[in-house]
Amino acid sequence: MTTLHKSKSSEQTTTPALTRRDFLNRSAGVTFMIGAGGVISACSSEDAATSTAPPVVSSNSYTPNIWVTIFPDNTVEIKYSGTEMGQGSSTHTPMILAEYLDVDWQNVKVDTMTTHDQRYGNPFFQNNLYTAGSTMIMVFSEKMKVAGVQARKFLLYAVAEDWGVPVNELTTDLGVVSHAASARTISYGDIVATLSLPTEVAELEESDYIPAAEFRYIGKDLIRDDVADKSTGKAHYGMDVQVEGMSYAAVVRAPVEDETALSVDDAEALAVQGVTNIINMGHMIAIVGDSVEATKWGKAKLNISWSETSRFRQSESQATLEQYKKAATDLTISGPVWNETGDVKQALDSADQIVDALYTSEPVYHAQMEPLNATAHVADDGLSAEIWVGTQTQSLSVLGAAETLGTTIDKITLHPLTMGGGFGRRSTLHQQYIDDALLISRALKRPIKVIWSREDDMESGLFRTATAQYMRAGFDADGNLTAMHHRVSAPNNLPTMNPLRWADAAPKDVITMLGSESTTYDIPNHQAEHVVQEREARVCAWRGVGTSYTKFAVECFIDELAEHLELDPMEYRLQLCHNNSRMSNVLNELKAMSAWGEATVPEGRARGVAISGYSRSLSAGVVEISLEPSTGKITVHKVWAVGEAGLIVAPKNATAQLEGNIIFGLSSVLRERITIEAGVVQQANFNTYPILRMSEVPELDCKVLLTEHPSSGCGELGLAMIGPAIANALVDLTGKRIRHLPLTPEIVKAKLNA
Amino acid sequence: MASFKINGEQVDVDVSPETPLLWVIREHLKLTGTKFGCGLAQCGACNVHLNGDVIYACVSPVSIVEGQEVTTIEGLSEDDDHPLQKAWIAEEVPQCGYCQSGQIMRAANLLENNSDPSREEIVAHMNTNLCRCGTYPRIVKAIQLAAKGEA
Repeated sequence: MTTLHKSKSSEQTTTPALTRRDFLNRSAGVTFMIGAGGVISACSSEDAATSTAPPVVSSNSYTPNIWVTIFPDNTVEIKYSGTEMGQGSSTHTPMILAEYLDVDWQNVKVDTMTTHDQRYGNPFFQNNLYTAGSTMIMVFSEKMKVAGVQARKFLLYAVAEDWGVPVNELTTDLGVVSHAASARTISYGDIVATLSLPTEVAELEESDYIPAAEFRYIGKDLIRDDVADKSTGKAHYGMDVQVEGMSYAAVVRAPVEDETALSVDDAEALAVQGVTNIINMGHMIAIVGDSVEATKWGKAKLNISWSETSRFRQSESQATLEQYKKAATDLTISGPVWNETGDVKQALDSADQIVDALYTSEPVYHAQMEPLNATAHVADDGLSAEIWVGTQTQSLSVLGAAETLGTTIDKITLHPLTMGGGFGRRSTLHQQYIDDALLISRALKRPIKVIWSREDDMESGLFRTATAQYMRAGFDADGNLTAMHHRVSAPNNLPTMNPLRWADAAPKDVITMLGSESTTYDIPNHQAEHVVQEREARVCAWRGVGTSYTKFAVECFIDELAEHLELDPMEYRLQLCHNNSRMSNVLNELKAMSAWGEATVPEGRARGVAISGYSRSLSAGVVEISLEPSTGKITVHKVWAVGEAGLIVAPKNATAQLEGNIIFGLSSVLRERITIEAGVVQQANFNTYPILRMSEVPELDCKVLLTEHPSSGCGELGLAMIGPAIANALVDLTGKRIRHLPLTPEIVKAKLNA
Repeated sequence: MASFKINGEQVDVDVSPETPLLWVIREHLKLTGTKFGCGLAQCGACNVHLNGDVIYACVSPVSIVEGQEVTTIEGLSEDDDHPLQKAWIAEEVPQCGYCQSGQIMRAANLLENNSDPSREEIVAHMNTNLCRCGTYPRIVKAIQLAAKGEA
């Protein structure tokens, strides 16, 4: 080991080796780098800049950029700006930085961020810290790569300058720099402890990037960091929080949105041993006590009169669906255009033949396994708070809490915990359970842990909206598809989910409309139009957002068009996406895997195909089903599925995501249905809202393709194709098309007998 | 006052006899590996062992375990090295993970009584336990792996 004089004083922050301004000046435009697959790709200077703040040198650590800090003991701390709900990105996102920095993953400590800081934000969500839309790897892989390469380069320059050797003679191996010619080595930790930093580092070059052939982590299936604790009961969820001096709270929320408790008879509840307070907050009643059981027993003894004046009292699921259907097919009603190619109106007017169809879908519930809960401690002045919660967004949790308390975000200390499922439920600006805990804690001036019952969670659910979708297609005289008009009749989601985002996005509601753009198909004139409807229930992003119903309409409709043209549905899809090589590859792989058109399908069974995809990821699937006509029960025997999400960091985990998505989708299609009568949700627990059990899971043959395209997400990949694939198979089996989700036995039986 | 053994240790807890065992375990004894999912014996997230049998802690009053022996995920193995736990990690079963303590406790009961279950026997036994993330296929694989003693 070379002994070196450390040129900096212990508390000094040195002059940055490269200032942010210098870097921006030099890297104006694009920085060229080697993509993970070995292909040169351009990275926008924005990507580079966000990972390139001036390095910070302190007495005991080195922070080459905002994402990573290296300590003398060789520990490497990498920031993770998302949260974990089982998708794996809390491991795989920072692991990309570790790969390019070339450090031992065992020495890496992932630092999940705890507050709103736009420098680390997700550009898909107004630079908020926001884990949704399967965006983590897609958005952050490039930033992680640049940050890792840049940090490594700083370290190499420090060594080169100190040892007086050319930097290109230095190599790294898991956190150790070597100079072969002089047989010298130094660990990253020792560099940080003993060397001074260079004053200048050249712009990143291709040669700075570890080539894909030398990857230790990317594509290598290291076990996720969260798996061991989740296999031993040690993982720490919001539900598991214990805070000194806390009380428990149960809540009764208004059974109908926007109603208020007029009177609360709480005498019997207060008599329950352990119940300490009953608070009427108007929109909800809090039952506070010194044990969970006391709050539950107290809750059961409350007698509450509600205002019964809300407009939602008029809400009835079937009437809502009829209203949405009427608007969908009434072409005099227009709405915001979500996506447009060519001139759909002109093309339909001049079409030789027009085919149309109307599809409907009913609301579904998230059913994350962890009932919603939060713990909060509001300070006596009511203006600052500490919060423990499982959340999909540090930013919105902090912003929403600050708004609720009428304070500023610097007064909110958030502890974001691992989630027992998210699926969009924990992505809103105001999270009701956080607000519950804050308001009760503020009122009682002590820490409060609010636990919703499963019934609270379902009855106060924020659902995937009901929809009606009217599809029209035009063909020319030669049978070429010239136009498609996709009208989605449904309410907006964003205004209630997150008004801050809606302010930027209006009138385009991505949550309602995603998937209706149908850009995987080559259709010269296409329009996706949002026929905006009044909201008749609470709504929110639900895994896959709009795609789980828009793809149902599109993919059923494509089969109807194929039938019209007397073409095989797989071949017709291949024909329609012949210009899209990625989608063609996925379909051809699926066709081969399922031996589509060649395999003998057993008697009494039929197959259906559909494609889906999410954001930049693609997928397609084939299902094989049978039907019990007396009950309407569909059995799915087998699913073949292919996914493509660019470069895959963890292939085994990606396949698990694809499998999980398919099962989640299957559950929603075969079992799940929320109904509302007089504004009241009619389902309350898993006995009235069954989700798929193990015995109903088909044989799955899932494959995620390994490509060199830029990485995208797998968290919602494959979910949306299951519904249309089943509905398409059902046509083959029965000759009848059911244009409706879900396909529960009673609905299937009724529609087949209609 | 409830008195029983949990994970080999005698405990006395000052609660009413009708208190669900789940809340005694989770909030009074702070053993939070056992989860609350539905409160209705519908999901299995609260599965623990009572004298080796699986019970739903959410609907079991603490009085039924009086003087008995309860085992939770924390007490399943000495060093978190039960063959099922090793298999769960090897197969990377958990996603959100919330249901997995219950799944593992349920599966451990199966292997206690049937060291080499068929796929059908696994599915029939595990069908009581819900997993929203859809890890069912990996649960089956992990149980098979543990049964083979290969984890």
